[in-house]
Amino acid sequence: MRWLIAPAVLAAVAAPWLADPYTTATLARILVLGLVAASVALLTGVAGLPTLGQTAPFAAGAYAAATLALHSSSVGVTQLLMGASVGAAFAALTTPLVVYARGVVFLMITLAIGELVVTAASRWRSVTGGTDGLAGMPSPRPLWGLPILDTDRARYLYALAVVGVVLCVVVLLLRGPAGMYLRGCRDDEARMRASGHPVGAYLAIAYIAAGAIAGLAGSLLVTTQQYLSPADFGFDVAALLLLGVVIGGAGSVVGAIAGTAVVLAARDWLSGLLPGRGPLLLGALFIAAAYVLPRLRFMLRRVVA
Amino acid sequence: MYRSKILAGLLALGTALAAVGCGGEPEGSPGTIKVGLLASLSGTYQAIGTDMRDGFQLYLRTHGGKLGGHPIELVVADEGDGPPTAVPAATKLVKQDRVSVLTGIVGGGSAAAVYPVLTEAKIPFIGANARPAFKDVSRVWHTSYLSQETGASVAQYVRDHVEGSVYAIGPDYQGGHDQLKGFTDAFTKAGGTLANADGKTRFTPFPTTTNFTPYFAQIKASGAKAVYTFYAGTAAIDFVKQYSQSEIKDLPLYAAGFLTEGGVLNAQGDAARGIYSVLNYSPDLDNAENRSFVAAWKENHDGPPTTYAMASYDAAAVLDKAIGAAGDNPTPESINRAIGQLGQIDSPRGAWQFSKTTHSPVQKWYLRQVRQDGRALSNMVVTDLATVGK
Amino acid sequence: MNQVDPYLIPALDGVAYGLLLFVVAAGLVLSFGVAGILNLAHGTLYAIGAYVAAILSDGSWLALLLALAVGVGAATAGGAALSGMLAPVPRGDHLTQALLTFGVALAGGSLLVMAFGAENLPVRVPATVDRPVDLAGHAYAGYRLVFIAVAAALALALHAVVTRTRAGMLVRAAVDDPDMVACLGVNPERVRLGVLAASGALAGAAGVLGAPIIGPGPSTAATVLLLSLVVVVLGGRNGHSSVVATLVAALAVGQIQTLGVALAPTAAPFLLFAAMAAVLAARSHGLIRRWSPA
Repeated sequence: MRWLIAPAVLAAVAAPWLADPYTTATLARILVLGLVAASVALLTGVAGLPTLGQTAPFAAGAYAAATLALHSSSVGVTQLLMGASVGAAFAALTTPLVVYARGVVFLMITLAIGELVVTAASRWRSVTGGTDGLAGMPSPRPLWGLPILDTDRARYLYALAVVGVVLCVVVLLLRGPAGMYLRGCRDDEARMRASGHPVGAYLAIAYIAAGAIAGLAGSLLVTTQQYLSPADFGFDVAALLLLGVVIGGAGSVVGAIAGTAVVLAARDWLSGLLPGRGPLLLGALFIAAAYVLPRLRFMLRRVVA
Repeated sequence: MYRSKILAGLLALGTALAAVGCGGEPEGSPGTIKVGLLASLSGTYQAIGTDMRDGFQLYLRTHGGKLGGHPIELVVADEGDGPPTAVPAATKLVKQDRVSVLTGIVGGGSAAAVYPVLTEAKIPFIGANARPAFKDVSRVWHTSYLSQETGASVAQYVRDHVEGSVYAIGPDYQGGHDQLKGFTDAFTKAGGTLANADGKTRFTPFPTTTNFTPYFAQIKASGAKAVYTFYAGTAAIDFVKQYSQSEIKDLPLYAAGFLTEGGVLNAQGDAARGIYSVLNYSPDLDNAENRSFVAAWKENHDGPPTTYAMASYDAAAVLDKAIGAAGDNPTPESINRAIGQLGQIDSPRGAWQFSKTTHSPVQKWYLRQVRQDGRALSNMVVTDLATVGK
Repeated sequence: MNQVDPYLIPALDGVAYGLLLFVVAAGLVLSFGVAGILNLAHGTLYAIGAYVAAILSDGSWLALLLALAVGVGAATAGGAALSGMLAPVPRGDHLTQALLTFGVALAGGSLLVMAFGAENLPVRVPATVDRPVDLAGHAYAGYRLVFIAVAAALALALHAVVTRTRAGMLVRAAVDDPDMVACLGVNPERVRLGVLAASGALAGAAGVLGAPIIGPGPSTAATVLLLSLVVVVLGGRNGHSSVVATLVAALAVGQIQTLGVALAPTAAPFLLFAAMAAVLAARSHGLIRRWSPA
């Protein structure tokens, strides 16, 4: 698989010159949601905590970054830091709710958190603009002194760079002891406890880190979409993210982005080709994926072996 | 590796489908103008979205497929349930199909979300339904109404005809807030009293409220002599059906017309009988435009046309006049300028014109009541109300 | 008395609502607890029942009975078909099950809308109960009273089946230890088929009888699925569920949605999910403490 990385990166960088502005804008949106999906994969696949609630820190980070963009700073990096820290803070605040839960119970608590945040977002109108949403955030400049990101291509490349850096950090960390501990908690929690590991602390750290990633993605959403609405963080989005992660192979953070890309591309392009038939085709895609993917993974493992 | 093959296969399939989809359509010959129509063709608002699409297409069909003398290529896209699906669809219309004008859009959230895409591309938008607050309306036009106007136009009538206080209740989203505020502001200004405990409208969670019984208990306790409300779609059905079996079933119910508009009226059935509602349209309006509109609509549809279909039909009528006045080679810019100079527009709802400041109609509103019309129930006009808009 | 009076009707209505959720959720509990299947298409099976009720109902009792037979039959067949579709998916693989059944829900929802239209369909209840009834000075929908009686009877019957019959014994055994049941020589394929068909039958029955309360339309399946998932998780404990616990959870959710809204209208939008998060968090807290004394 490793030989795929170089051409994939090359294709991703070259994409905005090869594709029309619509496809470029679509790819930018996929990158942003792909990053949220990576945080979902970190919890669901690596730590074994299936989540429907990463839309919550995603929303917190997005609204924080948007407020910053509207009122003071138009520098991308500060917005990213703002999004990430608010996302992490949100996760830290909700940690006591989730840290003891596992499996379906974790899934439902995170679902509840996600729904509560969307409800709050649609009612806190002075900050979020209510259900009509928040618009008018200016395009940022990535760093002090750099030009403003005023084209689809520039915004896409900016998102690509940010997502690339975050992914590299996450993948490298997961290769080290951090990843090993989390997988240990997922596979045999009792044994981890017995050998003296603070499982709760590990999972709490993973949850907060996932919150930071989702919050950071939130500030990217402000840049690429220049509009926020509570519907961007609704249950539909949470479900699509989780299913994208499942399609991508839950344990893989990079696979999560690929899976989300397939799901979103299917949703946006299929409904463009046959208006009104989008949900039907997306449903058919999910059904097909449920049958085809396990077999593919099995074959892949045999080929590699 | 295999996954990349799937991806390649999916892309190939997509391209093939796209090729099939485009095969039958003529190339954009000189003079053809591309119009994008974005409406909910799936999801919760599908009924409203398809009405809007059909209304626009009806105008095209009855006018030889041309607007302002130019052949029209209508590109339809699915708005879905809101911004997450509306934005990609609008981006496709603007950046890939390169439409000259965009029309439609059911939801206020969707319209607000699509706005940045339109501003960037400098394309005029003729909205045919929800109208959120925009910073700058220089390229935004609506053939529908401003949400606050509905309630404002009926407030004086309710004040004159209800002896006692009125309870205001509506759904908790921006459109609901605007609709109810329009009524309560005008009603209290006219000297009316709200029965609500704290003098504020009761907002119910949306779309999660399916059971209104607890609110009816509050209305009963408040001693109100009438109720004013705004709901649409599923919530409208639940509200009306539960109201008719509740302990406040004998209180007169006044509502923004969407409560009993279109398909929801069929679902409500007898429960809706007697409800008063205010709207800018009723299919039984007696004017030439409306007679031909209703007749043409009924050729392809079972029920009478709705205000959603009418507003979208009017969006086509606006474009018809504007494109005709925008010169030989209409551009988004010249079409937008021409819309600004349109005078009176003859419409099934009666003549109206764009307000110079809000870019939404200055139009007459009607009080209607659900009554038996032949075999079916229908919204029949009771009286004309105020002409609203500035 | 006057303090309580305005809340009588919401409380009664919460019972009707809760019993409706119970019948739907019981099916979900059955498939999750016994066959280990997370069926996200369960709301779609309810919608099938509700659409059947809308098509067949004409205001007579006979039509209602016919709708009940057809709706339960259709939803049972739907459940059986799902069981066939799920055969290749391993028992414990909830995520792939979720993928498959969510796909079925999306596609099935679209097909239902294509077949019956995008409008919510009207449902007629038998004329004799289609009127408000006077209860201690309040008016209440007659059909809902009938519904409360029927659903309560259904709940009792379900409890009797699970505690008194051989099939029920097997069900309880399978919930406790699925491998053991397999060792007893019961074919797991047949257990899955039986359980999903029965679960479909419950959803279908709820759909037909509940159609006048949560009617058929494009958003029906999602609403019903979400609420019944909440009930299942609240009623489950440590992966185990019982008829009584599910009933209590369903009635609680019903009361939150009605009495809770009447008592605290401003907090209404947050009540359900806040309550769920709090209960689940508190419970998982306790669970871990007991489980690991260290």
